[in-house]
Amino acid sequence: MIEQDVVCPFCGCLCDDLEIETDGARIVRVKNGCSLAEATFMNDTRLPAPIRRTEAGWEEISYDEAISETAEILREADRPLLYGWSSTHGETQSIGVHIAELIGAVIDNTSTVCHGPSILAIQEVGHPGCTLGQVKNRADVIIYWGCNPVEAHPRHMSRYTTFATGFFVPEAQRERTVIVVDTRRTDTTNIADEFVQIEHGGDYAVLSALRAIVRGKAHVIPASVAGVAKEQLVRIAEICKNAKFGAIFFGLGLTMSRGKYKNVRNAIELTDELSRHTKFVISPLRGHGNVYGSNEVFTWMTGYPFAVDFARGIAFYNPGETTAVDILRRGECDAALIVASDPGANFPRAAAAHLAKIPTVVIDPHVNATTALSRIHIPCTAAGIDAAGTAYRMDGIPIRLKKVIDRGYPDDAEILRKIYDRLDGGMGP
Amino acid sequence: MTELWVKNACVIDPIRGINGEIMDIAIRDGRIVESVSDRADVIDAHRCLTLPGGIDSHTHVSGTKVNFGRYMSPEDMRAGRTKRRGKMHVTSGYYVPTTFGNSYRYSAMGYTTLLEGAMAPLEARHTHEEFTATPHQDMLANTLFDGNWAVMDAVREHDVRKAAAVVAWTLNAARGYAIKLTNPGGTEAWGWGDDLTSIHEQVPHFAVTPAEIITTLIQANELLRLPHSVHLHCNNLGKPGNYQTTLDTFELVPDLNPARQSLYATHVQFHAYGGGTWRNICSKAEEITRSINSKPQIVMDMGQIMFCRTMTMTADGPMEFNLHCLHHNKWSNHDVELETGSGIIPVTYSKKSAVNCIMWAIGLELALLTKSPWQCLLETDNPNGAPFVKYPEIIGLLMSKRYRDEECATLHAETEKRTSLWALERELDWHEIAVMTRAGQAKALGIASQGKGHLGIGAEADIAIYPIRTDMVDPAREYRKVVEGFQKTRYTIKRGRVVSRDGEIIVDGANATFWVNAKVPEDIRMENDKEFIRRFEQFYTVRMSNYPVQDLYLPRGRCIETEAML
Amino acid sequence: MRCILNTGRSVPQGTAVEHKLSDVYRSIASACFLNPVDLMILGIEDGDRVRVTTPAGYVILTARPAEGVARNECFVTIGPYANHIISSETQGTGMPDFKSQDADVEPTEEAVKSVGELMEAIGGVRP
Repeated sequence: MIEQDVVCPFCGCLCDDLEIETDGARIVRVKNGCSLAEATFMNDTRLPAPIRRTEAGWEEISYDEAISETAEILREADRPLLYGWSSTHGETQSIGVHIAELIGAVIDNTSTVCHGPSILAIQEVGHPGCTLGQVKNRADVIIYWGCNPVEAHPRHMSRYTTFATGFFVPEAQRERTVIVVDTRRTDTTNIADEFVQIEHGGDYAVLSALRAIVRGKAHVIPASVAGVAKEQLVRIAEICKNAKFGAIFFGLGLTMSRGKYKNVRNAIELTDELSRHTKFVISPLRGHGNVYGSNEVFTWMTGYPFAVDFARGIAFYNPGETTAVDILRRGECDAALIVASDPGANFPRAAAAHLAKIPTVVIDPHVNATTALSRIHIPCTAAGIDAAGTAYRMDGIPIRLKKVIDRGYPDDAEILRKIYDRLDGGMGP
Repeated sequence: MTELWVKNACVIDPIRGINGEIMDIAIRDGRIVESVSDRADVIDAHRCLTLPGGIDSHTHVSGTKVNFGRYMSPEDMRAGRTKRRGKMHVTSGYYVPTTFGNSYRYSAMGYTTLLEGAMAPLEARHTHEEFTATPHQDMLANTLFDGNWAVMDAVREHDVRKAAAVVAWTLNAARGYAIKLTNPGGTEAWGWGDDLTSIHEQVPHFAVTPAEIITTLIQANELLRLPHSVHLHCNNLGKPGNYQTTLDTFELVPDLNPARQSLYATHVQFHAYGGGTWRNICSKAEEITRSINSKPQIVMDMGQIMFCRTMTMTADGPMEFNLHCLHHNKWSNHDVELETGSGIIPVTYSKKSAVNCIMWAIGLELALLTKSPWQCLLETDNPNGAPFVKYPEIIGLLMSKRYRDEECATLHAETEKRTSLWALERELDWHEIAVMTRAGQAKALGIASQGKGHLGIGAEADIAIYPIRTDMVDPAREYRKVVEGFQKTRYTIKRGRVVSRDGEIIVDGANATFWVNAKVPEDIRMENDKEFIRRFEQFYTVRMSNYPVQDLYLPRGRCIETEAML
Repeated sequence: MRCILNTGRSVPQGTAVEHKLSDVYRSIASACFLNPVDLMILGIEDGDRVRVTTPAGYVILTARPAEGVARNECFVTIGPYANHIISSETQGTGMPDFKSQDADVEPTEEAVKSVGELMEAIGGVRP
């Protein structure tokens, strides 16, 4: 069977034009997708059944047993951490928040080690953005700053920006100027009309310099800023001011390097400054397929996009304190539920190590590094492959992930619903 | 079968012409019936004021920009927070509360139906997800068409039928309820950082004017027989001197529908400014209401502002940017491809600001100068003018000249010179308030026939019983009691179940979402229009097959079907 | 050699990300990309091992040349190898220094551990 217009759940682009051929419960061919999409659909090896770690090693257990033991672990915990959520659909995220609310847990999602700092910046100065189609149809200047879409979002440029045919930019490649800012040369910088190579940690200074130039204060800028020649900065400021529609996309190069959220704030304020001359927008390139959905769901339910602590009964938010890495680093949580993510691989060692010291349960279709640190691993469906549900694209567009095959696994939402019920959740989410 | 009997209720039910009668209300399985058995649960209303459930015909509570308002404002989330308690989930926020916060607080005030003021079709799924998490109110969604490329193409080609067909397809795809125009044409211009300043200025690249978009869609709306009229946020919102644009717009409106208005003009306070700068801004409420009083084909709502900190959020992206340049606070913007825009900034309305005081006065003037309460509905464009929890204060102000005078005495001295509020003696009565907060909305939205906004036999049993004895309170003097009374019902009954008692939510919600499926003839359906499909696939960034909202996003969807006259 | 440890995503890392215990993933995530001049200074070649040390600890990686990487920078894809030596300090932001950790790079004969071994080193048990 061939299914059209399938949505790839892997990255924040959520490309929805894949063609997938299935043979029963097997996917045999993926068309239109990038290599990440292909791997997502084709190399989907799962844990066959729930497993539990014992003194003697790992043993298979039933779903019922795994679910009731998980509920017991959460019930017994004084300060449980519920982490992950970004590679699954909205219903699962929503039940996760209700469990956190019920048991007074901390719930955090993967944006905490991704665009969490961007959220902090947005909370300071806002976010002038737009949907990706606005960029596709209008933008004549594209800036990629501190990101590498060729590697991390392989179809971003062909679907939405550099190479995409837009209504007002019918000859995209000729009509769009592409500027890439990075500390190293990459396949993305090779495509750029202007490659701005800056010294490590120099983003803030370069952004400030551009703001000054856009404001007409070029005379205060020294000959070189963080390794970038003044004349290049002046040239770029001119390109931006003369754009009909400019779009900045930024990545972890801003959020993870020195300055973190202040870098992002500066980039947003540059956008604000440019908006006084022409149309300019800015957007983070979100990583996980539904990480933005976890921010959305958390926000409408709790008021905060990530790092929500229910220990006081009310929803409390204080990044740096209620963020997952900090809670683990301080050895604060005494149980963890990890859903659709892999902190074992993605958190600094000292934070990951705490997961092995406490009862940790993983609900994830795949064996990952966290499995080794966990007490129980419960396999489930993978959203977008054998489970349908809502995901939010990096620009906020909600898209329905499709179920293309049935592999007989329970949906993670169903597993969590049972855990919620065993915890006497009572009222419906 | 569940039965409920409300006895000794002092009922005001304007749609049925009932004004303060003591009567009993029988309810079975969610609807109002002639009588119930003696096994019915009984509520003694003790002659308290009993109204149909409140209806907000223009509020921003769900969807992309509302959630972004929360997302960017932890400071507001901290400003109002409650724990999980009984049947209530955790809530956060004061001016942009979480969905549960909105739902519980509206319910405590007796509101049972809400119209979300602005939903971009491309992001409709999000709005519906939040509707599901707003459990105690039935929901409807205004659907944005102000910068819709296919609509503008049809307008340019003078093809009303085509415009109607685009609207029908989009409403169906978005599970939307009504046509919303926010700064028509202006949001498309904002795609280039521009705006339109007159209803006769052309939209860049599209060769149509706001006036043409408005008039075409008013006609299309009636061809489709939509229950609600076109719902318009006029051009030039918030600009001194904009009243002329508003009056010019009103002049465009034909009277096409005997059952209701042909145009719903929203938050008109923001569109009733005289003068030419912030220094000489003044009220033009008299001019606006003179026009409204002579045009039964137009209904407006107040867009009252109240003095507080709040958040402005609208599809009107250019307006928000202008406001940002005044306030220098944080600013978010989110333009939606081929459809519309949006912007968000926090604001504080202060009595120290002459402009804010004049705005406050204009809203009240509009309500007091409009002869028929059916033509001026009470709201704040929540949360733009103020969060909806301020409605009871507005009711108090409209019912009491003394309350107004006391407030006026605290305002910026310029206010008296530039508005006529001081001279207005009118005090609205209970019946007029009932019209302005539910009956008028039901009629304007076209949902009275769905059993909303009245308590007739067969109506949905959405009822608000307030701890107010109208025979014992003089609202002109005891306005504090009026305000307090409207803040918290004794009972809010939703579809026959008591959902809120003395402000406490006592059951899980089970709301419905109303949407409209306007059937158009096969030959002009957009799904058969090759050019429409080609442009869709080429210029949107989602596939056309992935665009429509699936039924499962409306677990209790209520489809209103119409047969278009095409 | 003093370096700044930079991390990021890559297509190979992304395609193997759901197979973290595989040999393919090990070779991708344990690759340490250095400027060829730095390789020369260290006196090593493509495929030799390096010991990368930070205040948080050390890890053994396989050196790979990359023209695009600046001098005195080493690039490792995000994952358990890089995280083995990244400090969990977040300076009150929730975000560790994934892209700006100071590190020492030196040649070594030690072998590269598997992901499973890294997890065991912090108290895990391989499934």
